[in-house]
Amino acid sequence: MNIYKINNDKFKSIYFSYNFTVVANKEDISYYNVLASIFGKCNNKFRNQKLLQEYLYSLYGANFDVNVEKIGDLFNIEFKIEFINFNFLPNKQDILDDCLNFIYSSAYDTLLYEKELASDLAQREKENVLEKILTRKDDKLKYAVNRTEEIMCKDDTFGTFIYGDENTVRNIKLDDLQKYYKKMIDEGIITVIVSGNLNGYDNIDEKIKNVFGQKANNINDYTLYKANNKINKDETGITEIKEKVETVQSVITLGFDINNMSKQDFFVMSVYNAILGGTPSSKLFQNFREKESLAYTVRSRYYRYKDMIIIYAGIEQKNYEKAKEVLKVQIDDMNKGNITLEEFEAAKESVISDLREVKDSKIGLAKMLISNLFYYNNDEITVDTMIEEIKKVTLEQVILISNKINLKLIYLLGGEENEKI
Amino acid sequence: MRKFEVKCSNLGEQTYITTLKNGLKIYISKKPGFSKKIGMFGTKYGSLINEFVDIQTNKKIKVPDGIAHFLEHKLFEQEEANALDLFSKIGVSSNAYTSFDQTVYFFETSNKFEESIKLLIQLIKTPYFTDKNVEKEKGIIGQEISMYDDEPNYAAYFNALKGMYNTHPVKVDIAGTKESISHITKELLYTCYNTFYSPQNMFFLIVGDVDVEKTVDLIEENIKVYEKDYDKSSNIKEITTFMPDEERKVNNHLVTRNMDIYMPIISMAYKLEVVKNEDIIKRELICEIISDLYFSKMSKFYEDEYKKGIINEPVSFDYEGTKDFSHVLITSYTINPEEFINDLKDYIKNIKAEDVDKEKLEIIKKKIIGSEIFAIDNLNLTYRTIIDSIINETPLYSEIEILKNIEIKDIKDFLNLLTGENMVISKILPVQKEDA
Repeated sequence: MNIYKINNDKFKSIYFSYNFTVVANKEDISYYNVLASIFGKCNNKFRNQKLLQEYLYSLYGANFDVNVEKIGDLFNIEFKIEFINFNFLPNKQDILDDCLNFIYSSAYDTLLYEKELASDLAQREKENVLEKILTRKDDKLKYAVNRTEEIMCKDDTFGTFIYGDENTVRNIKLDDLQKYYKKMIDEGIITVIVSGNLNGYDNIDEKIKNVFGQKANNINDYTLYKANNKINKDETGITEIKEKVETVQSVITLGFDINNMSKQDFFVMSVYNAILGGTPSSKLFQNFREKESLAYTVRSRYYRYKDMIIIYAGIEQKNYEKAKEVLKVQIDDMNKGNITLEEFEAAKESVISDLREVKDSKIGLAKMLISNLFYYNNDEITVDTMIEEIKKVTLEQVILISNKINLKLIYLLGGEENEKI
Repeated sequence: MRKFEVKCSNLGEQTYITTLKNGLKIYISKKPGFSKKIGMFGTKYGSLINEFVDIQTNKKIKVPDGIAHFLEHKLFEQEEANALDLFSKIGVSSNAYTSFDQTVYFFETSNKFEESIKLLIQLIKTPYFTDKNVEKEKGIIGQEISMYDDEPNYAAYFNALKGMYNTHPVKVDIAGTKESISHITKELLYTCYNTFYSPQNMFFLIVGDVDVEKTVDLIEENIKVYEKDYDKSSNIKEITTFMPDEERKVNNHLVTRNMDIYMPIISMAYKLEVVKNEDIIKRELICEIISDLYFSKMSKFYEDEYKKGIINEPVSFDYEGTKDFSHVLITSYTINPEEFINDLKDYIKNIKAEDVDKEKLEIIKKKIIGSEIFAIDNLNLTYRTIIDSIINETPLYSEIEILKNIEIKDIKDFLNLLTGENMVISKILPVQKEDA
């Protein structure tokens, strides 16, 4: 168990995050999702949602949840609770112990082994996860980006939908869940993060160890957990895929692989992405939206774990060919080094300012910490060191790095229906 | 020395308020320790106002739907430059939004505060509309309208409004339609700008760790650059707007739309009489209590519907009330819309008849106190609270005091306002299911 504390007295509350990060294949994700769904609903101490919620309300509305997240090809199951520092509560009521014990019960005091109850629970939460999978198409923009990730990383864990796969979920049995639960407890690397106003909690490490020490495993080597399984990209050409849905607006996406990335390239790539489509002064926003009026939403997103960039835009289907052309011109511009000093400086400023803003959120700080742990496999990189590294990036580096980017996929979601006026 | 009115919460939050000579009100909410500073320049003008007296000609005028939102887009643009871009070039993120009753332009910065204030004022004070740039914007806004048109939640919400209201402009999409915006011209934009972007109709709000006096000086200095008659308070003119009379009865009890989705959405809405001032906050709190007591994860409704597999998440029970409209929306995803609607109707009938659980009410009050404290850690929630108080003319930081005085009778009285007569159901159903 690795415990990290991030203290800042500008906050009034505390975010406690207890993470199990597991090595998972594409199928495993479905099992962990059903498990997470069960953990979030009840445990041996709070045997139904009603009791659980009533207890949380009595702790001044402490926010509890069990979240799932892909960290590249790894899978993370987070037990989190957000609660208020005793200094700000009526009668200085201290609820830290209650909150720690609550998370302990959620993670370690499971109902999975109470046969009858557990079977019902598993069945109900399977349905819950299934619905999340079946509704993924309802948000078209998100779905288009999801599909692009899926096609780009079809062999990797990252290429699986966050909530898993329909058929796998349908066939999950209670025994499987017990097996996966054991796997999570025994093999998941545990990262504990406490972020927020920790004033008055000098012995918080001790308290955490007292509550979780007995049960927590001893894994603490992050180098054993690889977030990117695919290092060598295949060199085959560009694929074009169209998918039909009944929508007013269509979505075009472009997927790019980045080859031969080093850890240091991350900072250069962040600036590259900001120039391309990360900000309103980016090439995409200025040309695709402002000059050509092709879209309201157009952005590029850089996936640091998967060495990949995805561009997405909501367009009219009839403009598809033109949209493709305009997008390609922007990439060519980057390749040719047609980047002004002004564009470059603005992009750098914007990346730095986003990082500074992370420091205003206790959750943002915690998320950045765990993300860096798995990217760098150590805990030396902080938000401040990241800002310093971004400052060092040069325009030449950005131009050079554009050679590492290869267009792999063009995807179109959606047909058009006539607008009813 | 300037005169400030200082509002304090019992948790140490402080907001300083002052009025400049031209009538512009400035609000500064101190946030010690935070690196981000938010600056917002807003006008009390949104999509609801479509008929008014042109401040320059004194003639009554009607303008196309969506013009306030269109103006927002165009004002954030200068000759050969877009505001988002200008801010972005100095590493500052900025944006703007239009709602029913406000249009707000804002920036967020950690270290370019002075430049950002200067730029924001310059942008709002120097409109630049041409036939060409107005035409170009119709393409972009057209795409924005299409984007919302594909959004099932947005459709459920607006269809509920269309069902509830007969003539009230709240039923009209904020961005208008592709048809309505086709009638917008640069002349109309200037008319709206001149009428509603006058200092006495606007406000400036700062949230962050800033020096209060210096910030007000900075704003004043920059405003003066663009206002020749800054010192003449006699220039402040009254704004006259017209709102159609809205009948009490609803327009349509059922609105259905089919979309290419998997999961149906049901929104059950109740149209209510408008209340003002503190009563708006009181109603918001009563509805938060009702939501927690009767619809959250600790409620019987959620427990039963969850067990039956009809819902997965608690339904949302939201009160939307301003000085212009008032309604409740109960919204949920559900795989079984008809059973859900029947169960919900029965449940509402039942909770009206049964006693309020006093013990649970006390627990919920604790939770609401907690959520007020959580909100302080979030700068975005801080500004929303203050803007609500500006627009609705409600007292700042009064929630906890009002909460203390809410009694069981208030909850019962409110529940009794939810009747079949003022109810509307908005259904968003998958395409394959043909539902009348």
